[in-house]
Amino acid sequence: MGVKRGASTAPAKQSPHKRKGVVGKEYWKNNWQLYVLILPAIIYFFVFHYLPLYGIQIAFKDYKAVSGIWGSAWVGLKHFKAFFEAYYFKRLLLNTFLLNIYNLLWSFPIPIILAILLNQIRGDRKKRFIQTTIYVPYFISTVVLAGMLYIFLSPTSGIFNVVRQAMGFRAIDYMADAGAFRTIYILSGIWQGAGYGTILYIATLSGIDQSLYEAAEIDGASIWQKIRYIDIPSLMPTIMMVFILDCGKLLSSNTDKALVMQTAGNIPTSDIIGVYVYNVGLGSGQFSYTAAIGLFINLINFVMIMGVNKISKKTTDVGLF
Amino acid sequence: MIGKKKKLSMANRIFHIVNTMIWILVMFIILYPLYLVIIASVSDPDAIIRGEVIWHPVDFSLMGYKAVFKYGELIHSYGNSIIYTFTSVVLSIAVTLSAAYTLSRPKFKGKGLINFYFVFTMFFGGGLIPTFLVMRDVHLYNTPLVIILMGCVSVWNLMVARTYIQSSIPNELYEASMLDGASHFQYFFRLVLPLSKTIIAVLAVYYGVGKWNDYFTGLVYLRDRNLLPLQTILREILATLQVDKSGDYMMSMADNMESMSEAMRVANVAKYCIIVVATGPVVILYGFMQKYFEKGVMIGSLKG
Repeated sequence: MGVKRGASTAPAKQSPHKRKGVVGKEYWKNNWQLYVLILPAIIYFFVFHYLPLYGIQIAFKDYKAVSGIWGSAWVGLKHFKAFFEAYYFKRLLLNTFLLNIYNLLWSFPIPIILAILLNQIRGDRKKRFIQTTIYVPYFISTVVLAGMLYIFLSPTSGIFNVVRQAMGFRAIDYMADAGAFRTIYILSGIWQGAGYGTILYIATLSGIDQSLYEAAEIDGASIWQKIRYIDIPSLMPTIMMVFILDCGKLLSSNTDKALVMQTAGNIPTSDIIGVYVYNVGLGSGQFSYTAAIGLFINLINFVMIMGVNKISKKTTDVGLF
Repeated sequence: MIGKKKKLSMANRIFHIVNTMIWILVMFIILYPLYLVIIASVSDPDAIIRGEVIWHPVDFSLMGYKAVFKYGELIHSYGNSIIYTFTSVVLSIAVTLSAAYTLSRPKFKGKGLINFYFVFTMFFGGGLIPTFLVMRDVHLYNTPLVIILMGCVSVWNLMVARTYIQSSIPNELYEASMLDGASHFQYFFRLVLPLSKTIIAVLAVYYGVGKWNDYFTGLVYLRDRNLLPLQTILREILATLQVDKSGDYMMSMADNMESMSEAMRVANVAKYCIIVVATGPVVILYGFMQKYFEKGVMIGSLKG
């Protein structure tokens, strides 16, 4: 989806906004309804996305409920300093970063491989059946996914431990094991998302000119060679695009999943920034402090995605905007 | 030459055999956990504890489902989720499609600015805490409205819908109706909407599944228990699962159960039933919409 999105945002540079005066009465008479149709979306984004930007100021204030967002006293960078000096600072940053980087390394290639392999399946009905099935886990909720993990990994009745015990090993309480948290998080993420992640790649593959394959066959190319010299190069722009987007998320967190997977036992690795912000911000009411943490992370993510985008544009000519 | 060809077809055959084996394995990995949940949900709890339920139900029983349906709070939240999901899907589709229509008009002035206004929110946002405080200030906190409205329009879906309208509805149709003096409203309601079934189905699946599966919004923005959606209640049950005292929780579920140990027994199977009951609607919705879903996603992603 992203590959050509650049094209749609490009006209932003020649926005006619400044020339509003030139837009004639005729135009308004014929087109005012367009603005009515888009108004609800504009209001929605204003309330749910732009008003919270106004709320960011509490990161630089000491928020008091009685004074409100506007009336609370300014304190400068106090909360940022407190966070940088906090005992948990390093652990939170490292946990978030490691979880995301391992997740990226393991989860990123699998949809690409699956899409290429699916493309080689002969028979449309088989292909359709597989495609329909591999999307299914994507529709399962985070809570249910975590519930399944707790059930299957249970030290007493979970199927993993039943099998382990049958083979003569002792049972392990995986969900309370800090060393297992990342593995469980990533593997379950692959189970849930890899099939769905193939959509973009399958769309790209189905758009490849068939005559390329025919020509390759005449030249005596094997399936492997066709994959290597036709499929993979054709997928490259899409791969880069997804990669850029994923890199921009290296310090953001899938808070809702980590939150339901967190147990007293796995806190040393499951305590990531999003979960910390939830627990300390909403749990103990330290609004300004956690707003500062959130802003700090948002800024890093923003800079990161812009940076990766720029590097990618320079080296491969593929960019988001 | 012939020898080379033979070698080639041999290599290709091996590829297909390996590929088939890989896919059988992948299908198994995807489907087995789901299958296991279903067969366990209709088995006897003792058989589950003994680890006997692996390939088929053991000592068929519906006691888990009976317990789940007796549990008032769960059923109530189920009703809440149906209302939230239905209302917000209708609203989301209406707002997304009408905005997508405007954005798809080549002559629409202000497109660049408004595009930026939407896309910017994908890369930078207020974050959890400022959003929470603002929602409190605008009195949306602890109302059903916050659940219905939060996430009502996604930029991604908006772009997919715009691309769909641009690419699948012939421009000649637009030119012709404009020549006939039709207004944008008339064109949108009489021609664009009826021709947008595919994208409406796709949006319904995306928005519907997202809303149904969301527990976090309920957790953060609701305080009244009787407003909570299903997934938020499920999370509480889950929180008791993880410390393995689900029995206590299920006790309240099974108030007419004879004893604590009986309640514990039921709890062991009820957790599977809850998963089936909570996930069923979503999978069924996907099953019905799947035909449109694939088509719509392809259109959106190919030309987006």
